[in-house]
Amino acid sequence: MTIALGFLALASQGQHGHTLSMDSSAFVQLGEVYLKAQASSPRQKLVNYYRGNPNFTLEDIMARLPEVSFVRRGAYGMEPTIRGYSGGQINVLVDGMRIYGACTDKMDPPTIYIEPTNLDHIQVQTMQSGSMHGSTIGGTVLLNMAQPSHADEGRLHANLSSGYGSAAKAWYESLQMHYGKGRWSFLANGTWRKSQDYRAGGGDIIPYSGMKKLNYSLAAKYRLNENLSLKMQWLGDDGWNIGYPALPMDVGYAAARIASLSIESEKPGHGWTDWNARVYANRVRHYMDDTHRPDVPMHMDMPGLSSTQGAYAEGTRKTGTGGTLRFRADLSSTFLTASMTMYPPNEAPMYMLTWPDHRKTQSGIGASYQQPLDSNWQLQVNARIDYISHRLTSEEAKEEVSVLGYETDPRSDFLKNLSITAARKLRPGSQAFLTIGYAERMPTGSELYGFYLFNAQDGYDYIGKANLLVENSLQAETGLRGKWGKGGDRGLLLQYQLTAFAARLSNYIIGIVEPSLSAMTIGANGVKSWQNLATAFQTGGEATLSGQLGKNWQGVATLRYTFAEDADGNPLPSIPPLKTAVSLRFQPGAFSAQAEWEAAAAQHRFSTRAGEDMTPGFMLVNLRFGYTIPVAKTTLGIQAGVDNLFDLRYHEHLDWGNIPRMGRNIYAQISIRL
Amino acid sequence: MQTISRFSVSLFFLAAIFAAACSKEDSPAPDPMANMVKLTEGFAAGAATKVQVYTEQATIQTGYTRFYLTLTDSATGKSIRDAHVKLMPMMDMGTMKHSAPCEDPVTEKPADGVYQGAAVFIMPSMGGSWTMSFMIHNHLSNKEGTLTVPITVAEPAKSTLKSFTAKHDGQKYFVALIEPSKPKIGINDFEIGVYKRASMMSFPADSTMRFSIEPEMPTMGHGSPNNVNPVHQRNGHFKGNVNFTMTGFWRVHFDAFQQSAVADTTQYFDIEF
Repeated sequence: MTIALGFLALASQGQHGHTLSMDSSAFVQLGEVYLKAQASSPRQKLVNYYRGNPNFTLEDIMARLPEVSFVRRGAYGMEPTIRGYSGGQINVLVDGMRIYGACTDKMDPPTIYIEPTNLDHIQVQTMQSGSMHGSTIGGTVLLNMAQPSHADEGRLHANLSSGYGSAAKAWYESLQMHYGKGRWSFLANGTWRKSQDYRAGGGDIIPYSGMKKLNYSLAAKYRLNENLSLKMQWLGDDGWNIGYPALPMDVGYAAARIASLSIESEKPGHGWTDWNARVYANRVRHYMDDTHRPDVPMHMDMPGLSSTQGAYAEGTRKTGTGGTLRFRADLSSTFLTASMTMYPPNEAPMYMLTWPDHRKTQSGIGASYQQPLDSNWQLQVNARIDYISHRLTSEEAKEEVSVLGYETDPRSDFLKNLSITAARKLRPGSQAFLTIGYAERMPTGSELYGFYLFNAQDGYDYIGKANLLVENSLQAETGLRGKWGKGGDRGLLLQYQLTAFAARLSNYIIGIVEPSLSAMTIGANGVKSWQNLATAFQTGGEATLSGQLGKNWQGVATLRYTFAEDADGNPLPSIPPLKTAVSLRFQPGAFSAQAEWEAAAAQHRFSTRAGEDMTPGFMLVNLRFGYTIPVAKTTLGIQAGVDNLFDLRYHEHLDWGNIPRMGRNIYAQISIRL
Repeated sequence: MQTISRFSVSLFFLAAIFAAACSKEDSPAPDPMANMVKLTEGFAAGAATKVQVYTEQATIQTGYTRFYLTLTDSATGKSIRDAHVKLMPMMDMGTMKHSAPCEDPVTEKPADGVYQGAAVFIMPSMGGSWTMSFMIHNHLSNKEGTLTVPITVAEPAKSTLKSFTAKHDGQKYFVALIEPSKPKIGINDFEIGVYKRASMMSFPADSTMRFSIEPEMPTMGHGSPNNVNPVHQRNGHFKGNVNFTMTGFWRVHFDAFQQSAVADTTQYFDIEF
């Protein structure tokens, strides 16, 4: 309430400001800073900073963003969370496209399809600022893929990397090629990763943690005229025997195919800053496998399929009042199905749909309007509405869901998201802001229709509830960001960002024990169904400090904390503890050295209900070295380093099954740029 | 462009004509015996009636079996649609004979000319020989006669007939599983026929029992939610719902009570699909 009142006061001041001063030229610049700051800039710096380690996966990079944590079930295929929001509470979009995993156990978040070599930039939009791309209460991760570039007419550019890491005996090979001629430009990417079961701190080998994976993509861009271009993009990702030590099964084979066709205009004029439109389709097939596990009571097959088609158009306009309007209209249709078959000896196979066949159709429009009120004040309004329908598509699916006693008729929901941000320039380069918003999110396919999905963390089978209510949240976020210092050869230039946030969730969706139901999975503790909890509360903050410390020194420090509980004071699940990371890089020229220190406090606020327990704190040290030398017409880069220098045996709070993470990992990598 | 539109117009007309032609055609009345197996046919001596006997399956098994009869006047060759039909199963074990529960056709004037009855074979033919008698009273000619045919009853892999001596009255009861005949994932009709052995020749339907059911997958040790206990409808038929969450081998336990007295709590039907 205090926050809301405070905001009203600010807003009314803003209105005054607008009437007093029409001079907004100073503000436009601030607006741009703000926009980028909100969307990408400081975070992008972090991403770029950590992308210096070519054998990092996208997960490794994202985990270093202060807002992001990962739910870890295996060494790969971790599920991103934003400030403790996970699953259906956040959006993860690849180049603006919706992709849904085909695994009922969330082994395949969309983040696994993007290799860092494919990545142009990441945007993590927290809470409501992410709603332009889809109704969300937790935020949006936008993964934007690398674009074909037209740097050198008629000449092929290639970048070849090869690396090895000791802890998992992991090989990494990647090839990236650029080519541009005439109106065409092309980009091809290929990445191969293979790792064995890794060695945890202290020496234990973690069984079923290896994987093999091939990722390949091709993008072609055709310039129609100076401002307009067509782009075709195709990405394939195949994974084999990806281990999930915290789960009772692994991935035997997983395949994703992602294709899109888009048209982009960079400076269309007539008041438009840019616009683009895209049609896309993707298909994910996923086969879980337990044949490598010993003591399996009964072999089972668990295939899943996700197929999405969609289209969107988005653009940015300048308004006559000096404001900026960004909009997005999108629609998509997703089909999900998954089944399980067990083969008992001398009996008929046991078969059921774990995701009864269903289709989600979503259409929505989102807009973000940014208006400078005077030279200091700026107002931003984000709004989105979504119309989402779900329907069971087969008789078999309907009959199965009816067993749980739910209506099997289609459901449709109208979702509303709105937020208002007021920002004030404090002095050149620094700004304070306050956002309040209301957000809604749709329950996921699993939450609506999931059929006895085993959760290895709490040991319960989960069933969906087809009549779940939409989860919603009243939220506020405030922060301060800016620069300090002059930079230059000897100078100091620090960038800081402090953020605090709070949200009150209603109809919070959580698994509640159904004592009258019997578990399907052998050895399970019972059955839980997804239910709406009246309220839950979440708050926390992040601090980032980054900068140039003199000529050859760069540093990044982050600190984060999230607190979340339900109305009865029970901590919510998947909430990371207080965590900090400090990284310092010394780069006097072709040589660079980097030291990282990561520390997490113990998490005593765990969700017993969700099967969590206390996670001890830990401290890690990583060292990295790099050297770049021109050889003939090529550039040779050598990177080497050691993760977890002191071979600490540890796990993070969001790691399922308390499986220890990788121990000391010595890696080396060589890359050649042609 | 013009060619295309002309083409589509003619297509449209063709389709319209075809649709009209189809709708004019008289659809023949569906043959009620289309999916049935003809078990036997013969003459009910004295009734001047040819009896054709159909069943749903080629093999008759222990348990609830429906019989479908069509009757023809053997003099005129016309279908008889007004008759009183009674069924009588009989087991001859050499030293003794006994009957079994059976259901006579409900109506004497079936619209489609099919007289539907049922018998509950309480043992396979291994211990003796079954016969089935169909007693016909042709109301038009007012003649009566009986067709008796031998029946071979096999024991199914999963029994659909259970019997127990009730704890509360010491009487022997038979419970025959009627539905689900085609089990599926989802909500299935659960129908049982309940009969009491009054004598070796009399097995009247029972409506006084109360049942509670509980499905289980013995291999997995789990059940299923939202089952509905069968309640009495008529003629000893009890109807409820049994829910299967997956395919495979299910065991549907049923406990029988009379008022508050326990009749039996050890019975089950095995259903595999």
